[in-house]
Amino acid sequence: MSTSPLSMNRSGAIEVTRAAEETAAVPWYIWFGALAVTSASIGGAWDVAWHRSIGRDTFWTPAHLAIQACGMMAAIICGYLILVDTFGRSEKLKAASVNVLGFRAPLGAFIAAWGGIAMITSAPFDNWWHAAYGLDVKIISPPHTLLILGIRCVAVGILFLILAAMNRASTDQTLSGERTFKTLQRLFLYVGGLIVSGQMFFLIEKTWDVELHSVAAYVWMGVALPVAFAVLSQASRYKWAATSTAAVYMVFAIGEILIMPLVPAQPKLGPVFNPVTHLIPAKFPILIIVPALALDILWQRTRAWKPWKIALASGFLFVAVLTIVEWPFANFLLSKASENRFFGTMYFDYNSRPDGYDRLRQFFHPDHGITLYWGLLRAAIYASISTWIGLSFGRWMRSVQR
Amino acid sequence: MKVFRPLLLMLLFVLVAPTATYAHVGSKDVFETVSAGPYKLYVTVRMPTVIPGVAAIEVRSSGAPVSRIHITPLPITGEASKHPPTSDPMTRSTSDPAFFTGSLWMMASGSWQVRFEISGDAGEQTASVPVPAVALSTLKMQRGLGITLGILGLFLVISMAGIIGAAVREARLEPGATPPPSRKRRAVLATVGGLVLMGIIVWLGGVWWNAEAAGYATDVYRPLKVTPTLSGNVLTLDVQALHTDIERRSRSNNDFLPDHGHLMHLYAIRQPGMDAVFHLHPSLAGPGKFRISLPEMPAGDYTLYGDVVHASGFPETLVSSITVPANMPAAPAGPDDAAANPPSLSAGQLGDRYKLPDGYVMVWDRPSPLTANTAYSFRFHLLDANGKPATDMQPYMGMAGHAAFVKTDGTVFAHTHPEGSAAMAALMLANDSHEGMNHSGMNMDMPMGMEMSEHSEPISNTVEFPYGFPSAGRYRIFVQMKHGVMIETGAFDASVE
Repeated sequence: MSTSPLSMNRSGAIEVTRAAEETAAVPWYIWFGALAVTSASIGGAWDVAWHRSIGRDTFWTPAHLAIQACGMMAAIICGYLILVDTFGRSEKLKAASVNVLGFRAPLGAFIAAWGGIAMITSAPFDNWWHAAYGLDVKIISPPHTLLILGIRCVAVGILFLILAAMNRASTDQTLSGERTFKTLQRLFLYVGGLIVSGQMFFLIEKTWDVELHSVAAYVWMGVALPVAFAVLSQASRYKWAATSTAAVYMVFAIGEILIMPLVPAQPKLGPVFNPVTHLIPAKFPILIIVPALALDILWQRTRAWKPWKIALASGFLFVAVLTIVEWPFANFLLSKASENRFFGTMYFDYNSRPDGYDRLRQFFHPDHGITLYWGLLRAAIYASISTWIGLSFGRWMRSVQR
Repeated sequence: MKVFRPLLLMLLFVLVAPTATYAHVGSKDVFETVSAGPYKLYVTVRMPTVIPGVAAIEVRSSGAPVSRIHITPLPITGEASKHPPTSDPMTRSTSDPAFFTGSLWMMASGSWQVRFEISGDAGEQTASVPVPAVALSTLKMQRGLGITLGILGLFLVISMAGIIGAAVREARLEPGATPPPSRKRRAVLATVGGLVLMGIIVWLGGVWWNAEAAGYATDVYRPLKVTPTLSGNVLTLDVQALHTDIERRSRSNNDFLPDHGHLMHLYAIRQPGMDAVFHLHPSLAGPGKFRISLPEMPAGDYTLYGDVVHASGFPETLVSSITVPANMPAAPAGPDDAAANPPSLSAGQLGDRYKLPDGYVMVWDRPSPLTANTAYSFRFHLLDANGKPATDMQPYMGMAGHAAFVKTDGTVFAHTHPEGSAAMAALMLANDSHEGMNHSGMNMDMPMGMEMSEHSEPISNTVEFPYGFPSAGRYRIFVQMKHGVMIETGAFDASVE
């Protein structure tokens, strides 16, 4: 399973020293960090469902609190690490830290702290934005982008904390070291999966099921996904990294469809075009697990290739497989056959108009012919660039020690 | 620090860049008296300037005691008017049990109503007040907030560059190892590169922000365009429909509802003295085309305020201007048309008693002081030539009186009625489904669009108009009441603080 150097040392049953156990064991803040990212992911999905079922509400909804809890937990982790590494006496901890503006902490702690400050900055900015422009509630606005960037940086920071511990553990040749490595690797893939979910969350408005016969959806996914898959695959050293992180997204999104409708909810705002009685879940996830599997297989077989070649092949493979799988699947999603508790295509927002594309189950501005082919070609090129960036950055991440 | 100054400036510029603001004619807030069964409410709905935005609602109860009021927003017409969202309770003042406050999110532009569910010992009643929801302006960022966000933004830019530098310098070193000089050099380059990258991101963010702001500016409400042409004494008003990509944001020029018997109520006010005012009623000559033969009018420049109501109940005041030449031929005035020639604004403030041409006197119970954004009930009396209350009062277009509040700088025009500032046709649409609902001075059983000349109750010589001035400044108020066959127009001046 693992391609780490540890697998070769499995038989070397060496004496396990107490010190080795201490250095290699998964520290509390990594578990706490994974919990923080989980909280933000659940909060984000819950908040969107809240807006689609109940409408705008007070700041103190449980969904908002779950997002804020992520920031709080990140603040505790980063505050602790920065305090201990900068002012503490432990030379060992200081040794595994970097220096930013005079403070010392692991790189991941600084990235997560940066994300936390970005989250805090986005709150008054977003408040002003709504006061100034009102606008329909939309995810992709400058202040929301800053918030999502903040949450993403908290997640990436946590990923770096796991990664540095993982990379250090990879040189620990004890049995306990190997166990720790595997636990850290699983945590890494889990948090990585939440990052993939986050990418898809950001693209909700672009990948709505009625828009899946438009080139734009594939262009956006071509830009946003390969970079994440390539980074996670390279950094985690796991040969099924793309598939397993995509699986985290699929399970998370399907779980949402199964759970949300069990919670009663009523709109508090008009216009109500669709009287809603329970929380409305997100749309059925995009089948990104299939192109992710294709990428994993490709990357296993092309290790000797030059990076640009891998990137080019990956970009085209990703967009081709994604289109082949999702295009016909979108037909299914717009058919009566998918209107059930599993695929959940009969759930609509309270303000979903009866004459809207969503309610009529019709594709919104579908692309054909030359627009389609050029568009997909563009998506493939973007996906290649996205992969190349991901591969380069992922390889760099592999040697992060601090 | 000098290095970062351009960045700081750019950030601040991006964060506090002013956006275009549009003036609007009329008042955004709605002042309305509501009679629902035994309950009597004075309702003030303070509309937001952006949509979605929060409307603040105040209610003063003066009839049977009210124990609870619930409020809910819903469109006046269409599918969504059938599905009211769950209602919110209003908060009752602890010091004044007849005063209630609440707020509602107005989530979309259009013709809305606030529905009141009123409970008390006298049972439950429902009443609606129509409110037009439109985005009126964009907001500038307050200086303090701009600076705070600028500093936080700058810190984010600098610290990210620091993180990138640290990542290159130390992140890949074995714990405890010190970075070699080559890595340190690369780290400096990476820090500078990070600053440049963040600068580019901030700049792109600014471009995006400006694009969003420009997109929003196109959603800011502007009344339908109207082109007036005067040929002889025939005035034609060509109203252009508004076509947008989104159908529900479009507005037709051919869906107007009669509002107390007329499709358009046109006020013509001579500028700059406001010394001639006409309340006229052009008729429809074709889709979007209103026409009227003007009565005798003194020559000069006139501002025209044309009040219309769309089929959705959405009211608009269409503004234009004409120049009336000297010796224009004159047509006889219509039965509901009214006119007055008060002294010019430059002649000083008009007082509380306005002497009418036939010897009658209109008197204003002027409240003191007059402050902006305060809800008042402005009371006027009509006295005969002997100073006694006029006895031969008649309804004027179905009600005890009409009033227009006009700011002398032309930024405010509001045509109101004894029920309040909402358009009558919208009020009727909004309350169509409520039984037992009755607005004072208005017969709700009357089919819409019928001439409301037959009034069952005797008309008093006193009329009250609920209204609040939207801003400080000088206003002229024109009040119309009818006795016998004579339609009187009184004029009063108000200095609002």
